[in-house]
Amino acid sequence: MTNNKQYWKGEEDLVRDPSFIQASKNEFSEGLPLEEVLNESDFELSSNRRDFLKMFGFSVSAVALAACNKAPVRNAIPYLIKPDDVTPGVPNYYSSTCGITGMPIEVKTREGRPIKIDGNPRVKALKGGFSVAGQAAVYDLYDNERLKKPLRAGKESNWAEVDKDISKILNNLSAAGEKIALVSNTINSPSTLSAINDFKTKFESVEHIQYDPISYSGIIEANRMTFGQAVIPSYHFDKADVIVSFNADFLDTWLLGETFSVDYVSRRTPGDDMSKHIQFESALSLTGSNADVRYPMQTKNEGMLLVSLYNELAQLNGVNQLPVVGQADVAGQGVKKTAAILNKAKGKSLVVCGSNNPKNQGIVNAINSLLGNYTSTININNPIKRYAGSDAQIQSFAKDLAAGAYAGVIFYGSNPVFDTPYGDSIAKGLKNKIKLSVSSCSNLDETGKLCQFVAPDNHFLESWNDYQPLGNLFTLGQPTISPVFDTRQMQVSLLTWAGNIGEYNTNTLADRGIYGEKQSSAPYYNYIKSKWAVDDKTFNTYLHDGYVQKEDIPATAPSFIANAVDMAASIEAESKQNKEGIELTFIEKTGIAAGKMANNPLVQELPDPISKVTWHNYIAMAKANAEKLGIKDNTVVNVTIGKDKFAIPAIIQPGQANGTASIHLGYGRKVAGKVGKGRGVNGFASINGGEFTNYTVQGAKIEATGEEYKLARTQTHHHIEGRDIIRETTLDAYKKDKKAGNRYEKPQVVSLWYEHDYQKDGAPNHLWGMAIDMNKCTGCSACIVSCSVENNVPVVGEVEVRRRREMHWLRIDRYYTFNNVNNVDYKDAVSEVNLVATSADFEGDKITKEKALKAIDHVESQSTDPTYAHYENVSVVHQPMLCQHCGSAPCETVCPVLATTHSTEGLNQMTYNRCIGTKYCGNNCPYKVRRFNWFRYNDNAQFDFHFSNDLGKMVINPDVTVRTRGVMEKCSFCVQRIQSAKLSAKREGRKLEDGDVKTACQRACPADAIVFGDLHDKNSEVRQLFQNERAYSVLEELNVKPSIRYMTKVRNV
Amino acid sequence: MKKYINVQSLIKFTVFSIFLTLSGFTYGQEDAAKGKELFDANCASCHELDKIAIGPALRNVRQKYDDEWLIKWIRNNVALRKSGDEKAIAVYEEYNGAAMNVFENLSEADVLNILAYTDTEKPAAIDPVAASGGGVDPFFNNYTKYLLVVVAVVLLIVFIILLRIFRELKQLRRQAEGATYDDAAQSWWAKNKEKFIIVNPTITILTGFTAFAALLFLPWFFWFGVNKVGVQQGYAPEQPINFSHALHAGELEIDCQYCHSTASYSKSASIPSLNTCMNCHKGVQGLASEDGKPSEEIAKIYAALDYDPEGKPGERFGPNKKPVKWVRIHNLPDLAYFNHSQHVKVAGLQCQECHGPIQNMEKVYQYSSLQMGWCIDCHRTKGVDVENNSYYEKLHASIKEKLHSKDSAQYAQQYFKDGKLVITPAMNGGLECSKCHY
Repeated sequence: MTNNKQYWKGEEDLVRDPSFIQASKNEFSEGLPLEEVLNESDFELSSNRRDFLKMFGFSVSAVALAACNKAPVRNAIPYLIKPDDVTPGVPNYYSSTCGITGMPIEVKTREGRPIKIDGNPRVKALKGGFSVAGQAAVYDLYDNERLKKPLRAGKESNWAEVDKDISKILNNLSAAGEKIALVSNTINSPSTLSAINDFKTKFESVEHIQYDPISYSGIIEANRMTFGQAVIPSYHFDKADVIVSFNADFLDTWLLGETFSVDYVSRRTPGDDMSKHIQFESALSLTGSNADVRYPMQTKNEGMLLVSLYNELAQLNGVNQLPVVGQADVAGQGVKKTAAILNKAKGKSLVVCGSNNPKNQGIVNAINSLLGNYTSTININNPIKRYAGSDAQIQSFAKDLAAGAYAGVIFYGSNPVFDTPYGDSIAKGLKNKIKLSVSSCSNLDETGKLCQFVAPDNHFLESWNDYQPLGNLFTLGQPTISPVFDTRQMQVSLLTWAGNIGEYNTNTLADRGIYGEKQSSAPYYNYIKSKWAVDDKTFNTYLHDGYVQKEDIPATAPSFIANAVDMAASIEAESKQNKEGIELTFIEKTGIAAGKMANNPLVQELPDPISKVTWHNYIAMAKANAEKLGIKDNTVVNVTIGKDKFAIPAIIQPGQANGTASIHLGYGRKVAGKVGKGRGVNGFASINGGEFTNYTVQGAKIEATGEEYKLARTQTHHHIEGRDIIRETTLDAYKKDKKAGNRYEKPQVVSLWYEHDYQKDGAPNHLWGMAIDMNKCTGCSACIVSCSVENNVPVVGEVEVRRRREMHWLRIDRYYTFNNVNNVDYKDAVSEVNLVATSADFEGDKITKEKALKAIDHVESQSTDPTYAHYENVSVVHQPMLCQHCGSAPCETVCPVLATTHSTEGLNQMTYNRCIGTKYCGNNCPYKVRRFNWFRYNDNAQFDFHFSNDLGKMVINPDVTVRTRGVMEKCSFCVQRIQSAKLSAKREGRKLEDGDVKTACQRACPADAIVFGDLHDKNSEVRQLFQNERAYSVLEELNVKPSIRYMTKVRNV
Repeated sequence: MKKYINVQSLIKFTVFSIFLTLSGFTYGQEDAAKGKELFDANCASCHELDKIAIGPALRNVRQKYDDEWLIKWIRNNVALRKSGDEKAIAVYEEYNGAAMNVFENLSEADVLNILAYTDTEKPAAIDPVAASGGGVDPFFNNYTKYLLVVVAVVLLIVFIILLRIFRELKQLRRQAEGATYDDAAQSWWAKNKEKFIIVNPTITILTGFTAFAALLFLPWFFWFGVNKVGVQQGYAPEQPINFSHALHAGELEIDCQYCHSTASYSKSASIPSLNTCMNCHKGVQGLASEDGKPSEEIAKIYAALDYDPEGKPGERFGPNKKPVKWVRIHNLPDLAYFNHSQHVKVAGLQCQECHGPIQNMEKVYQYSSLQMGWCIDCHRTKGVDVENNSYYEKLHASIKEKLHSKDSAQYAQQYFKDGKLVITPAMNGGLECSKCHY
């Protein structure tokens, strides 16, 4: 063993639950349900010989007839007039901007169909970071439940009629001076804002209300109070030596998580330059799981912890402290230590906070000011423009609407009935005395359902747009397909209703018959171009690049103008309002975008990076609280918050601070497509609204109902049997010894196989390999989605995931380890006692039975500790696990039909058409990465996840086979990309360069944690990494010679 | 006798030939075949026989003008017009002053040959299906017909035998039940069977023969059948437009990649879009008919594009376009990946190596079986150009090294075929599953 830590994936793994151990012995948890079938009432086992002969005769003749059938006539329909830039069989790439995440993207199209979205790495300011939601968004384009036509009073209508009616009502209302609201999420598109202005100029009584489901108005207000600038500054995690975060999930959901994770990871390579990351948080977030030091805290103490951190720093710097008395109650050693570390990195540190409370954020600003971070890691002069919503505005709007103050309301890309705390009052207002209600939802949603008109907006891949993510950065969005349905860009709708569209309506594309009857986006192209006011050539250059970067805006330190003493006093006052019960925080979930992506099957099936739960939300509880309330994993609990009451399944989440619980937002959609509808509970309804929405609720009452809801959870689907899979060390140890944590006595190797020529160094062939840096991998899961889209991996649904039948070729294993338990004896003891009955024989380094039993006693005594402090305090390792393409692959030797074989390029090939589904290979794979395809997912009404209808199939990558049932599948190292890159090189008569082949996971990884290349290429990056001191192969002792090496995780503790 | 006759006929033939050859240079002795050659080379770019192209339709032009005038006009129409010839000026004006080239290089005899060609009768329309001769479906060809007959005969024999056994068993059962073997109980067949066959020895022989035949024949038939499932070799479906590769690729020698332009850089060779057709067929409207309309097949192109030849330039394609639903002939299963550019551009194969004598096909049929064995055969024998493609630099170097090593003789045997270096795809991993299946 290379370190003494015990790694575990879930509690059953940790405590070695006997039924779990038994289940994990079977690769496939459920065999064929023969008994079930045989026991069905309509199946008579007593069928006699005649029946047998009948069936036999029928099947023989059916097979014979089927074989005689001539192949069906297939048509090939070429273009009538081929566009110059489309070549069948050759992909095109377009720069655009993601409408969900706001990140610049590169869209891959084949024969005019967008089939893959990746980040646009050319946009330096945003680093090309890209995430789950954006990767998955391409599926939404081909969702056949999208609105196909505008709706009037819930019925399909046409644009001419809808436009006529809406314009008329708008004109009447405007003439009468009655109030009209235009409700949207933050719009950071200059041209859209200008279109809204045109609309407001025409209809003067229109009021534009912006809000964000996950609000940042606290930060904006704090900056207004402290610096007089109501903005969100930009943060530079790459410039920070020390990062301290209070509840900010900045690697995932907080602000520009995609960009921040690229910045963050750029400083996580072990060495003198490595940053130190300290996280204070209540729920275990993705960011917290990557922290070097993590302090569990209750969110209600956040303010006081910030104040005491300020005071510690003030003391160190000889500045006046804030006069508070309650500080001592919460300020543990963590704050003191953190202050000391921060103080050493003055001007090169960064403190961020996820709170929406302007006072807390005000103290954070004070701390950053004190540390002098405003000239380095924070730039308030170049603000983040993506969030500018105001909680106060939406609150008063909801109140006024319910009171009947608005005569008309237009919802532009927003769904406040679902994603605000005021859903009920807005719904009430819409049902009553309103003269005009319009929604632009493209799938009917909670708000759209209550509106008189729905003017469905295009998908962002069908639209023109521009965006301003940062003060000095503009990105452009261009359509990569003509609208699939009869939908229209909302901007065009607004301009049409305002009567302004005429001059932009020179639809040259329609003349060419490209758009046909459908509404075109061309007018908005003309509009944007007129607003940009540049010549065609410049504009086309912008479009080609996808962005316009204006000159740098240097950071300057703003002067602190607020009264921190008052803020601290008010924080202290708030912290004293103690309520009985559990503190419940509503948090965002990876990819689901607060419910906007809830109808996306890829997002739903993606295991949460931490809990590994799919398809449902749940309440994550601390072990100590759950134990006391008699709650176990999957127990359905009743949550009571004031008058609000709902039932939700629970999980026990290691790392969750004692006294707290958390629930993901974005679930519980009531009006959505078949995928998202009715999954989980909507947390927005339970949030306290207010001037600044507070996502944490105090005093929740939780009680077990005795019912159980089995969550589809993948965390222990692949058991590691206590083997040495994770290697980690500390930065200090690494600095002394580059091989720290990776010192490993190589087992004596006896191989059955000769080394093949192609494996020898210097052989002329390619030898593909991959290096995965566990220090860089944040666990964000973008790679999983990218892999699924690239390789046509089917979505299998909640029921099948429960049966361990998820099809992901790539998974990210998340391991917990206790920080403050002496793991030494524990680990060895448990595994040895379980595996070896006569362990008393062991001597020396090895464990004795006595020692083992003592260790188990020790663990048991820990587990009776009612505070379960060790459960709060866990570290996490993320390890992407995919086919290791072993040089001596165990799967290959057991295949009876040679369906899986080895190539001279080092690939472990899977040939589906040979596979007969014995599953021997899966059983023999030590990494458990082979997935068996149980059903024809692409053509089966039971698995209708956008993939089994004609429109949904448009997203299929034509270069990759769609597998049928009954075959094994697994990662192919994106062999289609390898072949395509090789072919390009051959066509151009040049050598294949390092970096020509990028696998889908590598391309999607914002952290560059995955490096793929040719190990026989002397200059390849992957070859250098294979020789790195940190590199190791998982289960090296099996001598299967994997083609993937992992880099030891180094923590800067 | 024989010899005499031969000599005599030889002399006759020679004399006749000389006469014929000489007569080629004299008036009245014209050669329409030669005329066609000259017509195609010189006139066809502006004229057609039956249809007005840039210039007038020329069939039976002699009925309109006399030879002397025609010779003058064709050889130098400019001079003729300048001389004030009324007919010449009239023709010039009728065709909007489209100037005709001067053909002083053509001799008078040449011109007469061309005119002879214009005198030829208009041929009857060619039935492309009848003319093709291709499109043989192997499963239903004559060979298979014989097979089917054999099968029918065998089945008949089996049927008769089974009938016999059935009767015998029935008899036996009756006997077992105690029934006497009396005449009344006997069937018609039992009474009369001697009239038809000699009972026992024949049945034995027949049974033996049938069993033997079945043993030999059935596995072979099974193997043959199974191997042909899904194989469409010879498949030649009717196409919506009777496009003739024999005409375009064969007779007119248009380069394959003029139309299938993406073959050199894409996975798919692609069926050309109709605007590619229109590059030529804007002008070339097929065999001109009396009414001056384009040929039936070209009319289909125009209809698909809603093309109006009389429309303003740039607006000739109308809004009512209808896509052409060609029938796919080469259907690779989804599990196999094939890339044209790999084979056309990198390997430099000729289209015909897989698609057969496409330049002779009136109607395209699937020439190769497209079975995996067929792919593999080629990958085992064809050479890869490792010497001139930098991609293979490392491979080439390693082969050179091997050939200069102490085991060079052994390697030479492996790498050289007929004195030439042949590195097959198979030697370079070209037979591995995931080269085509992923």
